[in-house]
Amino acid sequence: MYWEPEIEQLPLARLQQLQLERLHKTIECAGRSPFYRQQFASGGVAVEQLRHIDDIRSLPFTTKDDLRSHFPYGFLADPKDGPVRLHCSSGTTGNPTVIFHNQHDLASWANLVARSLYCAGVRPTDVFQNICGYGLFTGGLGFQYGAEHLGALVIPAAAGNSRRQIKLMQDFATTAVHTIPSYLLRLHSVFTELGIDPRRDTDLRLFVIGAEPHSEGQRRRIEELFGVSAYNSYGLSEMNGPGVAFECQQQNGLHIWEDCFVVEIIDQETLEPLPDGEFGELVLTTLDRQAMPLLRYRTRDLTRILPEPCPCGRTHRRLDRITGRSDDMLILKGCNIFPMQIEKVLMRFAEVGSDYLIVVENRNGNDEMQIQVEVQKEWFTGNMEALENLSRKISHEVRDEILVTPAICLVEPGSLPKSEGKAVRVQDLRKPQESV
Amino acid sequence: MIAHQVSVFLENKPGRLEKITAVLKEQQLNIRAMTLSTSTAGWGILNLLADQPERACQVLTAAGHPAALREIVVVKMTDAPGTLHDMLLLLAKAGLNVQNAYGTVLGDQRSAILVIDVEDAESVQQIFSEAGVETLSTEQVYRI
Repeated sequence: MYWEPEIEQLPLARLQQLQLERLHKTIECAGRSPFYRQQFASGGVAVEQLRHIDDIRSLPFTTKDDLRSHFPYGFLADPKDGPVRLHCSSGTTGNPTVIFHNQHDLASWANLVARSLYCAGVRPTDVFQNICGYGLFTGGLGFQYGAEHLGALVIPAAAGNSRRQIKLMQDFATTAVHTIPSYLLRLHSVFTELGIDPRRDTDLRLFVIGAEPHSEGQRRRIEELFGVSAYNSYGLSEMNGPGVAFECQQQNGLHIWEDCFVVEIIDQETLEPLPDGEFGELVLTTLDRQAMPLLRYRTRDLTRILPEPCPCGRTHRRLDRITGRSDDMLILKGCNIFPMQIEKVLMRFAEVGSDYLIVVENRNGNDEMQIQVEVQKEWFTGNMEALENLSRKISHEVRDEILVTPAICLVEPGSLPKSEGKAVRVQDLRKPQESV
Repeated sequence: MIAHQVSVFLENKPGRLEKITAVLKEQQLNIRAMTLSTSTAGWGILNLLADQPERACQVLTAAGHPAALREIVVVKMTDAPGTLHDMLLLLAKAGLNVQNAYGTVLGDQRSAILVIDVEDAESVQQIFSEAGVETLSTEQVYRI
């Protein structure tokens, strides 16, 4: 049931003691990097004054902008120890962010991914097909090493070529798959084209999905289409990648591995810590990384900590589903809107597909939202009135959720734009607002 | 036997209708009559009276178009004032709502047909036969 029974069930007090010890070491280590050396020198960090893990709040935050402006080596803590690998983000705006790992870090990361996969139910007897980009993206190598460390047979299938993915699944009797949720929906349509029923003609039993925001409805749809259980994975390259937080068999929140990360939820405006149960921005500190420790890193991911203990017996607290990113938030007619809220509503309608596009534009001074959804071939009856009622109903239900009435635009299946890997969900065509 | 038309969903954009007619042309399927109903939200439904509706529906679906077969009743009328009114009155009295209807005058120039798309084609067929209105058999419809 547990990969590391003792650590996973560590009582809170002892877990916090372990965190404090590791935080001291991490701060010492971080002080060797140019960025933190300078920050500590100007701010004055007294390690001996950190007597409880909550005292971490006296440290300043680290942001993505800090990572970018100190690219590439500003956060590297100990070049002599010798980092052995780096991972990079795409860097669509400005410098990319780079994360370095030494051998200890890679072993620790692989162990966290193994613990995570085990927690979701992956076992050494599984054939694990990893369908995601290898290379700079952390999902490829991260899951590869983690699943190998667990002892599963790993197929480094990488991304794309759906027919080949299906052939691999059949040839090697794949039982477990990791990929992004939107790809699974696309893969299912290829199964259908080939006349193969994944429920009947494959050995699939477990999916690990993540790296892309998705709603509970989308997870349930995936589970139903494939006849598997799908478990949510949370990670970000700044915190290694996958293996930060993972769902257990309860499928109710993601256990965040508190022996290796300090978890805080803060109010985005005031930056003050929020109690468990309240939604805010997730802030993480690495506790077992040597080459590049990060202190109080603002993830921009919005979530909360589920306050109740989990029936699975793990003492590490659970994150709720990520409700969005503080930076993909749309502000429309004074309302804060997350695309995820809209997706959640769309998932209730079987008559429309899983892909959607939110277009926001300004018409005659009014911000307007249009949601494009694809008509499902299977549900089309030729009845005009039925489709008009459907559009109205979707519009009403979205309005109830986000307080803005969108125009619903039905489009032909397959006509929505797709980017490599991740689906394009939002087009904001408004002119950038002048700063006040 | 109830006859069928093919209803196809399409976006109201240049070239979309041509994509559908291209599929039908390639398969040598003949269109007898058609209407296009458009919504205000940028999409519409194309209704086709085709010589082989089942096959037309199948090839359109395979080409990625949402398409469905819909039951229709096809009535033959004399091409004279008032005929349509009398017939629609029958449906109104029975409380039946017409989703869509389209007609064409036949080659003999004396009679016309009216294609009626209603939710309950069977009852309509029965109402007409009781009132002595001539409806076309499936075979006649597809060979118009």
